[in-house]
Amino acid sequence: MKSLDGELATETSRRRFLAQAVLGTAGFAAAPALAQQLVDLHLPGGNSDRPVTDAFPGKGRMILQRIHPPLLETPMEVFDKSVFTPNDQFYVRWHWADIPTSINVDSFRLEVSGHVDKPISISLDRLLSLPRIEYAAVNQCSGNSRGLFVPRVPGAQWGNGAMGNAKWLGVSLRSVLDLAGVRPGAAQVRFGGLDQPVVPDGPDYFKSLAIDHARDGEVMIAFGMNGEQLPLLNGFPCRLIVPGWYSTYWVKMLSSIEVLPGPDDKYWMAKAYKIPDTPRADVKPGATGYKTVPINKMVPRSWVTSLGDGQAIAYEPTIPLGGIAMGGDCGVARVAVSADGGRSWYQTQLGPDEGKYSFRRWDARVPLPGPGSVKLMSRCWNTDGVSQPMQPIWNSGGYMRGNIEITTIVAS
Amino acid sequence: MKAPPIGTLAFGAVGVTAIALIIIGPPGARPTKLREPTSETVPQASSVSVAGFTLTSESIDLPFDEQQYPEGANADVINANCTSCHSASMALTQPPLSKDKWREIVIKMRDVYKAPVGEQSIPAIVDYLSTMPGQANSAEPGIERSAQDKS
Repeated sequence: MKSLDGELATETSRRRFLAQAVLGTAGFAAAPALAQQLVDLHLPGGNSDRPVTDAFPGKGRMILQRIHPPLLETPMEVFDKSVFTPNDQFYVRWHWADIPTSINVDSFRLEVSGHVDKPISISLDRLLSLPRIEYAAVNQCSGNSRGLFVPRVPGAQWGNGAMGNAKWLGVSLRSVLDLAGVRPGAAQVRFGGLDQPVVPDGPDYFKSLAIDHARDGEVMIAFGMNGEQLPLLNGFPCRLIVPGWYSTYWVKMLSSIEVLPGPDDKYWMAKAYKIPDTPRADVKPGATGYKTVPINKMVPRSWVTSLGDGQAIAYEPTIPLGGIAMGGDCGVARVAVSADGGRSWYQTQLGPDEGKYSFRRWDARVPLPGPGSVKLMSRCWNTDGVSQPMQPIWNSGGYMRGNIEITTIVAS
Repeated sequence: MKAPPIGTLAFGAVGVTAIALIIIGPPGARPTKLREPTSETVPQASSVSVAGFTLTSESIDLPFDEQQYPEGANADVINANCTSCHSASMALTQPPLSKDKWREIVIKMRDVYKAPVGEQSIPAIVDYLSTMPGQANSAEPGIERSAQDKS
C-alpha cells in the first residue's frame, strides 16, 4: 500500500498539470458539468452518459469510459465516414495500469522462447526485415456492447464502439516462430506485452493460441496500422493480430512469445474471458453449472451508422440508409434492412470488398411506414451462412453480443 | 511516413538549430514568440527504417485521474483502497448491482487481482458501492431500480 501510494504521488505531480488542464479535477459521474461534452450511449436502465475527450496522446475525440487505465470508445459516427477506423479514433482498452509510456525502437526486443530449438530475441530492425503480409481486419473487444445486455452485467459498460477496422501491416507469426524453430509436441503459444500489473503478484496479462492457429500464416505481428506506426495506446511498437477472433488475443506491445508443450493454465486463459459452451454463448440469466470455454471466433454484426439513435429527421416516403457490417470469422455475404421494426426487409448494396475480415459498407433506400418513431434494423449474413438473430443472448461476462441492433429515429 | 536515419536526423537537428539561431539573431533583435521552435521541444526520437517503413521511438504522458468517489459514508475507505488500480469511474459507471454482487466483485479484486484490501475494509467498501449514486439502494432519488442481477 505504502509503495503504491508513493508511486501514485509521484505520478500525480508529474501529470497534474495536464489533468487539470484538460479533464478538470472531478470526474464525469460526480460532476458532469466539468466534462467537455457528454454523449448518451443509450444503455438500458440509464447511467449511460459519458464524457467525450481529446486528452489522450495520439487520440482525437473519444468517448471516455475510464482514464486509468484507459478505456476509450469510438463514437459511432466515426464508422459512417469510412470502413477504416482512423488510428486517432481507434478504441483503447488496457487491463493493468502499468503501461510503458516510452518505447525506444533501438532497444525494444521481442523474445521467442519455450518449446523451441533456439530461443531468440528479435530487434525491430530484424522484424521489419522479414517478409511482410497485409490485410484489413476488425478488432473488437470481447465485451463490445456489454452495456446493452439485459439484465445488465458488471464490467466495462461499452456501447457499440469498442471496435475498429484497420489495414494491418506486419509479418506472419509463423515466420517468427520458424526463426526459433518450434519443437515437436508444442501445444500452444503464449503471448505477453510490456504492460504490467500495478500490484505485486497480480496476474500479468498473457493470452494463448493453439499451435496450429498460431502457425496458420494469417496470425500477424503488426507494426503498421492504416499505413502508420501504431499509436502507443494501441500497442506500439507491435501487436498481435488474430483475424476473426476477439481482441482479447490481440496482445498489445507484444514482447514475449512462449511456445508451450501443454495447455496454458494461467489466469487469463484458464479463468478469464470464458464463455458458456452453448449455442451463441447464450444462457438463461442466473444459470449455473454449464461448461465454459475460452472466447474465440467473432460472430456477424451490423449497424446503421448514417443515423444515430434518437435522431430526428424530416419525414420522407423513402430515406437513404447506410451502415457497416462484419462477417465475424469470414466475409459479409449480404445485409438487409428494415424500417418497420422487422416486418419487412430490403436488400442493401454492399460497398467495396476490403477483405473477409474487414468491415463492409452497406447502403440502401428504404420506405418509411409513416411519420413518427421508426425502428431501423440491419441484419448481416456472413459467407458461412450465419446471420444475426433478432433475440439478444445473455451471459454473465457480457461477451459476444451479435443480435440485430435497433436504431430508433423520429421522422416528422 | 518515411523518416531519415538517426545520423541524418541528428545532423539535421543541429543544422535546423543553427539556421534558427541565425534567423533569430542576437537577443533584443527579435519578437519573443520566435523563440518557441527550438530543439528543447523536439527531442531527437530514434527510428528504425526498413524497406519503406519506419518506426520512431515514442514517449507520451497519460492524463492522471484525480476523480475521487463522491462523498458519502465510507468514501474515505474506498478512496484509500480502490483508486490505485483503476479510476473511480469504473465503479461509478456500473449498472445497479445487488449487494451480494458487489461483495463478490470486491473479493475478486482482492483474491484474483491482488488488491491490497484489508479484511476490515471490505464491508465498508461493499456498503459504499451498493448505496452510491446510481445503485438500486442509493439514497439518491430518481434512479429506477432495475429488476436484474440475480447472477
